[in-house]
Amino acid sequence: MSVPPRTLLAVLLLPSVAISEELSFEKHIRPIFRAHCYDCHGATEKVEGQLDLRLVRLLKQGGESGPAIVPGNPDDSYLIQRVRSGEMPPGEHRVPDDQVEQLIRWIALGAKTSRPEPESIGSGLGISEEERAYWFFQPIRRTDPPAVTATGRVRTPVDAFLLAQMQPQQLTFAPDADRHALIRRAYLDLLGLPPTPQQVQAFINDSDPAAWPDLIDQLLDSPHYGERWGRHWLDVAGYADSEGNGERDDVRPWAWKYRDWVIQAFNRDMPFDQFITWQLAGDELVTPPHKNMSPDHIDRLTATGFLRMASDSTQHANNEENRNRVVTDTIKIISSSLLGMSVGCAQCHDHRYDPVSQEDYYRLRAIFEPALNWRKWKPPSGRQVSLYTDKDIAKAAAVEQEASVKAKHREAKQKEYLDEALQKELSRHDETLRKPLEEAYRTAADKRTPEQKSLLAKFPSVASFSPGVLYQYNQKHADELKKLDQEIAAVRAKKPPHEYLRVLAEPNPDVIGAQFFYRGDYRQPQHDVWPGGLSIASAEPYDIPQNDETRTTTGRRLAWAQWLTGGQHPMTARVLVNRFWRHHFGQTFVSTPDEFGKLGTLPTHPELLDWLAGEFMANGWSLKQLHRLIMTSTVYMQQSSRHEAGNSVDGSNSLYWHFPVHRLDAEVLRDSVLSLSGRLDNKQFGPAAGISADDSGQIVVNGDKQQRSIYLQVRRTQPVAMLSSFDAPVMTTNCAKRSSSTVATQSLMLMNSDFILKSSRSFAERLNREAAGKLPENLTNGRFIKAPVSEPAKQQRWQYGYGYVDEEGIAGESVSQVHFTPYPHFSSNTWKGGEKVPDENLGYSFLNASGGHPEGKTTRPIRRWRAPRSGTIRIHGAVSRPSKNGDGVRLIVHSSRLGVQAECVVPTGEKKYSAEFWVERADLIDTLVDERENKTSDSFGNGFTIEMLDSDGLVAHTWKSEQEFGGPVSETKPYELKSPLVDQIAWGWLMTTSRFPTPNELDAGIEFVEVQLGLLDAGGNQVTVLQAMTNYCQALISSNQFLYVE
Amino acid sequence: MNAEPSQPTSRREFLTENAMGVGMVAMATMLSKERALAVPPTVRLAPEKFDLASKDTHSAPRARAMISLFQHGGPAHMDLMDPKPELSRLNGKTYEGDIGFSFIKRATKKLRGTAWRFRKHGQCGTEISELLPELAAIIDDVCVVRSMHTGHNGHEVSIRYMNNGIAGVTGRPSLGSWLTYGLGSETENLPAYLVLTDPGGHPVDSTHNWSNGWMPSMFQGTVLRPKEPRILNLDAPENLRGSVQESNLAFLNRLNRRHLEKHAGEHDLEARIATYELAARMQIAAREALNLSQETRATQELYGLHRDETREYGTRCLIARRLVERGVRFVQLFHAGQPWDNHNSILTSLPGICRRTDLPSAGLVRDLKQRGMLDEVLVHWGGEIGRLPVIEGDVKSGGRDHNGQGFSMWLAGGGVKGGMTYGATDEVGHRAVENIVRPTDYQATVLHLFGIDHKKLRFLHNGQQQQLVANGARVVQEVLA
Repeated sequence: MSVPPRTLLAVLLLPSVAISEELSFEKHIRPIFRAHCYDCHGATEKVEGQLDLRLVRLLKQGGESGPAIVPGNPDDSYLIQRVRSGEMPPGEHRVPDDQVEQLIRWIALGAKTSRPEPESIGSGLGISEEERAYWFFQPIRRTDPPAVTATGRVRTPVDAFLLAQMQPQQLTFAPDADRHALIRRAYLDLLGLPPTPQQVQAFINDSDPAAWPDLIDQLLDSPHYGERWGRHWLDVAGYADSEGNGERDDVRPWAWKYRDWVIQAFNRDMPFDQFITWQLAGDELVTPPHKNMSPDHIDRLTATGFLRMASDSTQHANNEENRNRVVTDTIKIISSSLLGMSVGCAQCHDHRYDPVSQEDYYRLRAIFEPALNWRKWKPPSGRQVSLYTDKDIAKAAAVEQEASVKAKHREAKQKEYLDEALQKELSRHDETLRKPLEEAYRTAADKRTPEQKSLLAKFPSVASFSPGVLYQYNQKHADELKKLDQEIAAVRAKKPPHEYLRVLAEPNPDVIGAQFFYRGDYRQPQHDVWPGGLSIASAEPYDIPQNDETRTTTGRRLAWAQWLTGGQHPMTARVLVNRFWRHHFGQTFVSTPDEFGKLGTLPTHPELLDWLAGEFMANGWSLKQLHRLIMTSTVYMQQSSRHEAGNSVDGSNSLYWHFPVHRLDAEVLRDSVLSLSGRLDNKQFGPAAGISADDSGQIVVNGDKQQRSIYLQVRRTQPVAMLSSFDAPVMTTNCAKRSSSTVATQSLMLMNSDFILKSSRSFAERLNREAAGKLPENLTNGRFIKAPVSEPAKQQRWQYGYGYVDEEGIAGESVSQVHFTPYPHFSSNTWKGGEKVPDENLGYSFLNASGGHPEGKTTRPIRRWRAPRSGTIRIHGAVSRPSKNGDGVRLIVHSSRLGVQAECVVPTGEKKYSAEFWVERADLIDTLVDERENKTSDSFGNGFTIEMLDSDGLVAHTWKSEQEFGGPVSETKPYELKSPLVDQIAWGWLMTTSRFPTPNELDAGIEFVEVQLGLLDAGGNQVTVLQAMTNYCQALISSNQFLYVE
Repeated sequence: MNAEPSQPTSRREFLTENAMGVGMVAMATMLSKERALAVPPTVRLAPEKFDLASKDTHSAPRARAMISLFQHGGPAHMDLMDPKPELSRLNGKTYEGDIGFSFIKRATKKLRGTAWRFRKHGQCGTEISELLPELAAIIDDVCVVRSMHTGHNGHEVSIRYMNNGIAGVTGRPSLGSWLTYGLGSETENLPAYLVLTDPGGHPVDSTHNWSNGWMPSMFQGTVLRPKEPRILNLDAPENLRGSVQESNLAFLNRLNRRHLEKHAGEHDLEARIATYELAARMQIAAREALNLSQETRATQELYGLHRDETREYGTRCLIARRLVERGVRFVQLFHAGQPWDNHNSILTSLPGICRRTDLPSAGLVRDLKQRGMLDEVLVHWGGEIGRLPVIEGDVKSGGRDHNGQGFSMWLAGGGVKGGMTYGATDEVGHRAVENIVRPTDYQATVLHLFGIDHKKLRFLHNGQQQQLVANGARVVQEVLA
């Protein structure tokens, strides 16, 4: 095999240190020490063994054991000996071999520094020039778009940046995608739903060159836009409708208010700086008290729900550990969503790779300390804000007043009616007893004399006389009272509903710092730390006031939010734009969206990322403006297919030489399937839609019509199976990057899950209703289904009738026949000749779930089962006859293909029978009972099971005669074909792919449906044609052309 | 569909272009033989292709498959398989050394000798507690490691160390993922890596236990549920099974192949086609593998299926054997929660969990041996930590707190020497002091048994060469047969 040229390239691109490069302490050695040594030898005030590794001269000077290094002589360097022997670092961590090599080489080359070291050094690690030079900590720099040769492909500056990196590899953008592809891409991207055929056609037929930007505008104006893009934000915010307190995982009743706020904020394109500020400090932007709030006031408070997303066990276990966990998780959500860094490790020690000190972590925490004060903690129920206004209270009082008038009226009526009924009751008893009885009854239970008690005990009908039994004396009166109850309830229902917000606020805050926890342990607090930004985020320390005297709150969060969004912060805008890009393309510049530090990956397009971040801020932090910019760029409008030249140079497409093919997000998949099937309930906003576990324990969504996925209840412990198996996050804390997996369990879900089967059927029914006459004639003309579409008359699985086995058949060689007539009548759970038994024609012949009664030679009861497909069946059951008189009954198991398969005579008692034989589809299997010679007391019981075996002899399916017994199946209506099948096939294709099928594709669909019609036996009152089309629809929504954006 | 390919320049391209004509599996096999075992190119430019085809190993493998019986919570080694007469002698005395506690409020430094008797067993004479009579009976086939050490007392921290290679870190692939990535699968009909969960629910740390981390999801453990349906959505409704479903899948395949023609080189599209094929085969194979009625009564009783308290765990152990018999590479059994976390009432709770697991675990080894499979199937029994030699709470109702400093586990088969013990804790069983085995050493040893050099098994993630076993691990040569 020849070596392709790209291997050579790979070697050249290796990101390791070239051998010739000069090694310096600051650039090469300090990061190694930071990762492995500084916890004990630099970060703390007191260093272990008096060895400080922060400066080379301190290394040379050494500690208790003498100099740590001998420049030029690694073998004599104590540090190297200790590292090589595995004694340092202590514990199981080891310095990787390549880093040890680097240390050795650096010492061998003289242990150089890149500049003179300072005379003195304070405590802590500080931040070196090299650390500060890391790209992510540099200010965002907006450079001019580069000049490129392929100017024809440059629609926006975005394209220029991308082309500039492609050109050296001789690559350029793929040709523009056609409009079918574009509209599907745009709908799925911005709304998370596929376009309807009408929308597709309108776009295709629009010759205006502005049709594309117009379409984008139109989608951005849709109320469903926020349901798609709000979902992205809810991922990083860690949205859930439950507390995450272990197994209980209690429901958070009002979390959805925040979810709705997010959707609406996206819909109205709330500038992202404001979007962030409100979420961090909405409560600091309004004036307490939080009563009689304006809609704007409510909005700002609702936004702080962001800071209440962390799991919270403190409702039932309000201890210090759980409180601190809430704070820690909240900071993780904030930092991964807005800073793009895991500052979490600095909770316990200075960050091992990035210049984030433990002190920094607690500066960050101090911003939130007054609001999340773990020493004065309120559990979730104690911090809700009521939305009840004074007006609501007054209205509620007025309503209650109205209701109480009615209630009084009802009370009077009840007393009147009860008195009347009591007299009726008393009148039934001996006259002399009436008065004492009434007195005893009317005396309060604890005041009754022993005589009264014993008297009442003798007359329970008086003793238990109560409003509840009024109906037994006077139904009309009881009904009247019931009606009054309903009226009162109706009045009370007019009270304004009492709703709440989950907010973060600082009522009467303590001006406190965060405590520096030794090794992150809240039980070991050390000194106080005051609020501030991360040291690395700005050249000068960014201080945040401890207390803003002009506000009722400390103002810390507001100040920090303003720092993040003020245009100078190096992180926030980059982190946001990087994520937005990923949502559009399925891949992005920094492929670790929550880890931009040393542990993450370097940006593929640093200049473009900065330019976009700058552009985003310059455009007033408008996300919709950013969408327009990106989507009208060639990179977004190009085709998705690959070519060999591109594959060989950049197989992972990190240069964007074609539009990246990527799978639909879980919610988009589910919502699109619902939309196609007509099962989508477009209701927006409000309380979370219900979920529950199905028989197998899978979590499913309740109801036939279902809301979009963003409205489903998010229980941390009960992820909806359809969503989680397609990588929707199961919320533990939050999710900054979803994975995109491809596993067999997903295929099983698409093949066999109830959700997909039901949706496919609804989709097929919809095609039948809607497809007719909508297809261009030249496509469908001359094509038709070459298979019978008419319905077989009888398709029920079970039938109940009477008749007999043709005796000739039993004796002769040919297979016997059963003469079968369905019973004409069904009542009292019994199939029979007529309402009354004996019937004038059929006598005592009848069948019920567990047995029946034989009668005569030609009216023997028959339970008939129809085979759904070919295979071996095993039938086993028991026939019984309670009576001891007469000669018993006989049971016969009969196959229409093979004749009698079992025979079982029961004189009295119970007898088991079984048989195993082959059936073909639609074979009829009868169990028939006769009375033998003597017709006496021949009531019988008969229950059996039919098992269908698979090719390995294992039970594939079971039918039980008693459980499945039932009355007439509603008249099987022949499936009314409202649209020609060919039209349905083509229309379904268009709906799922946004394009008409080619003639070949249409023929493939037709061929499939023809094959299906031949194979299918839908059974019961299901209909073959519908099932065939259902299977066709299922294939469409399970296929890659539907599952992927291209 | 059968367009002439333009002169293919490499075999990979040729295969990709002809994917329509070559079965996925065949193609995967041909490609994988080209790629030396699990040493991906240093810089990934062409899309990496992953598959589960069987791979060549670095050295001759001893083990072909592994069954790990994970014992969540920290089995009390000094009460089970690490006898400490000195601890018994010091019973009630105050311990002088340092101890790290997890539950400070109930902590004491009062030493507690074991409440159970140890005896020598087998020809090897290894001492085992009366709580584990069945383990005692197979002890000549077992290697007891008495010097395990994670250095961390927390459950999750140590679980992740044991399963994922680094203490406390989530988001990394598990041991099963690495094995299936490095070795591929021997079956095309079942997932290569299966997890048998407890009817009571998930273990502590839940699905992290079988996470594929940053590896492709084909290396994730597939959960075999403890009750029907064992694999969710495995079967179609009855009227759609058989030929109808075959027709459905054939049509779907036709759609997907046609679509792939337009997107040659999109590996995720190919992978999804393969998952449909696997799903269809799984329907048949999984049902067959789970059908325990094919087992004789004697075999069933070997696992304790005839007894109420052992039936559940025994059933899963038996299923595990049937799975490795059918080519599954790695099977791991988990308990609900952490039944070995005996902080309280250790006098009753410890015997309880022993009774549930002892016979089935030993039965698995016996059964593998009688079938001649023990030579190539490695059985692991152990948890993430052990327990402290001191009393937690009071003597009667209390128990023992966490101990990551020293604990025991056992291995059998798959090239491990039977009838031996390895390593030792100090005289009271607190710290591993002799021949310390860290989780990474254990993992390196497991990989070695499978013929994999832990230093060479790498996965390129975010531009970094990742390994299951970070630096400093040691193959424990002494336990190899």
